[in-house]
Amino acid sequence: MKIKRFRFIIGGSILLLVLIYLIYTGMEGTMRYYMTVSELMAKGNSVYGEKVNLGGRVVKGSIEWDKLKLKLKFSITDGKKSLPVIYKGVIPDAFKNGASVVAEGTYSPRGFFRAAALLAKCPSKYLSAIPEKKK
Amino acid sequence: MNIGYFSIIAALIVSVYAAVCSAIAKKTGNMKLISSSRNAVFVVSGLITITAASLLYALITHNFQLEYVASYTSRSLPLFYTISAFYAGNAGSLLLWVWFLSIFASLVVIQNLRQNRDIMPYVISVMMTVASFFLFLLVFVTDLFKKLPFVPQDGQGLNPLLQNPGMLFHPPTLYMGYVGFTIPFAFAIASLMTGRLGDEWIRSTRRWTIFAWLFLAIGNLFGSWWAYVELGWGGFWMWDPVESASFMPWLVATAYLHSVIIQEKRDMLKVWNMILIILTFVLTIFGTFLTRSGIVSSVHAFAESPLLGYLFLGFIVIILIFSYGLLIKRLPLLSSRNELDSLLSRESSFLLNNLLLVGATFAIFWGTVFPIISEVVRGVKVTVGPPFFNQVTIPIFLTLLLLTGICPLISWRSASRRNLMKNFLYPFTAGLTGGIVLFIMGIRNTLALISFTLSIFVATTILTEFIRGTMARREMTGEGRLKAFFTLIRKNKRRYGGYVVHIGIILIFIGVTGKAFKSEKVVTLTKGESSTVKNYTLRYDSYSEYPTRNKYIVATTLSIYKEGKKVGILTPEKDFYKGQEQPSSEVAIRSTLEEDLYVILAGYKNGSATFKIIINPLMSWMWIGGYVLVLGGIIVLWPDRKRRKGAKALTAAHGMSRLEI
Repeated sequence: MKIKRFRFIIGGSILLLVLIYLIYTGMEGTMRYYMTVSELMAKGNSVYGEKVNLGGRVVKGSIEWDKLKLKLKFSITDGKKSLPVIYKGVIPDAFKNGASVVAEGTYSPRGFFRAAALLAKCPSKYLSAIPEKKK
Repeated sequence: MNIGYFSIIAALIVSVYAAVCSAIAKKTGNMKLISSSRNAVFVVSGLITITAASLLYALITHNFQLEYVASYTSRSLPLFYTISAFYAGNAGSLLLWVWFLSIFASLVVIQNLRQNRDIMPYVISVMMTVASFFLFLLVFVTDLFKKLPFVPQDGQGLNPLLQNPGMLFHPPTLYMGYVGFTIPFAFAIASLMTGRLGDEWIRSTRRWTIFAWLFLAIGNLFGSWWAYVELGWGGFWMWDPVESASFMPWLVATAYLHSVIIQEKRDMLKVWNMILIILTFVLTIFGTFLTRSGIVSSVHAFAESPLLGYLFLGFIVIILIFSYGLLIKRLPLLSSRNELDSLLSRESSFLLNNLLLVGATFAIFWGTVFPIISEVVRGVKVTVGPPFFNQVTIPIFLTLLLLTGICPLISWRSASRRNLMKNFLYPFTAGLTGGIVLFIMGIRNTLALISFTLSIFVATTILTEFIRGTMARREMTGEGRLKAFFTLIRKNKRRYGGYVVHIGIILIFIGVTGKAFKSEKVVTLTKGESSTVKNYTLRYDSYSEYPTRNKYIVATTLSIYKEGKKVGILTPEKDFYKGQEQPSSEVAIRSTLEEDLYVILAGYKNGSATFKIIINPLMSWMWIGGYVLVLGGIIVLWPDRKRRKGAKALTAAHGMSRLEI
């Protein structure tokens, strides 16, 4: 009986180790800092070229979009500081002035952020618009 | 004042009453109180139904004075989307949750008027406690019936992304799944409280568990389908926290569905089953919490509401401490009579399946909450993206696929070499041959090769099982092939329905594996110009703009040629809904069993247009797999015909036990 149980414990431990190994190696290659604009700029040259996720809002009126070449330029802000972002590719529908976005990419020493992917979330409060309409 | 608002307050009071009195009644043995708390359950579901009806009424009659109605609907919104706005917002979806729960609870009470009398009071108590929590949120935290100081002419309209049939069905099906798990959880807790820890609680809730599991699967599939056809990036799953949130309870529930079989058959894994069902329930609440609180940044989470988040978190902690505390207290009563005999046995393979499912869940959980953990521990937010989840879960899921094939072939207790040789010969040969053929055909992607090979292996084992069972029946009863086949399924719904579910899962694997062969291209075309992707040629024919009742449409038309032959027309659009600032990309999809041609209108100017063209091989098999999975689920759930005693004895005499799981 003891030997049997021992075998199962060994089997279970091997499984656990494999799982930990998978998680560990999985993390190594895919971990990314999630930062706001201020945090990114404060880090400065230490993050140049490193892949980060930059979260913030689209600065109103900053969007320049080439509708055919799909080249996009806009400024992202966390309310304190803002930074120009360039991106090429299909733009999510929810991307617009004031939308909250996550840009995945790298911070360039030339003072802008090059996004390889762009995620946008619709602002959750549509309501603020109603009273304005009334006036 | 509003009827809906009053009845929700009343529902809260009555549900608290039911939760408390039911437990007291059980302790004191007061029969009057027991039947009173039973009736209270019906009253709660009646009251919540009134609230739901009044919200629906407000939506349909366009009562824009209600903030909720004004924020999610408009006059031009089609009726079914107006109804779906019921659960478009935070408060409404909480109401839907608790509405389902109250109805399920009433059904449970009706089902158990004559059985499970010992544990029912606690079952009621647990269900009503959960209901009270949600009702509390509805009454004190959200404000479903909040009135605006004025009556707007028109509402804001529903987010165009939600105006899709997938989103019509995704939330209710998912919630049915989430809420359904409250029932087995309540029975488990009630069994722990009373110390009646046989298999009754598992048997009594088997159908509920499968029902919940099935709906959770359907909900997830609807969600993926919606993401695929509506979000317009050509994929169906991106490991968004919200997706993970609904996937995790499903995985643990899958483990539970398998391990209860071991408990019923071999009287083992009793503690493990308790752990699993509690975990499943907690994960359903955790899923609701993740979507509600906005704690993890997600593309489609609801409005951020920290208070709601803390309340959910508190509720989860209380459930965990209470449930597992109770479990530890009852440990002495949960000892098993049997032990695992051999590593090579069906029990072991089930156990391995369980560990892998829970392991996968843990990995997904880790990846999902890692940003929060890293922020708390190190002060920086670190995220892991889809590559992490894929890297970790693909090996686990492929191993699980292998196990799906191995489990039914391996005998209980301890498998002999002969048993293994006999059962594995054909499926193993079939899988290997299939793999080699695919390799010769030019498939070089290792993971895809493994996935296809395993799929063929598992499909063959299942096919063998059906053939073997049918032949055994024919020998025994002399029935014709078809009759023997259908009777076999009818008499062993759980086993063969389960196999059908497995076939569905294989098809889903095949659909997902197709992703390995995805190709895409972004191209700018002027009118009349063509572009070729793989064996498709797309010609950009025309551009048009026109208004409809509730939107303004920008449409492009493309002629599709496949190997020189015209096969159809695709019209990717960008729609601008009234009252919404953002456009809504309507992708155009030409779907065949072989592959999907997926075209997105990415941008346009002066009649020229830029398209993103994606070819998604084998995509349809994912949805077909979903249908098969549902079919299997229905087979398992199909009620037994009331059998005559004689027939029952006959089955037993024929020694059908080998055919039953």
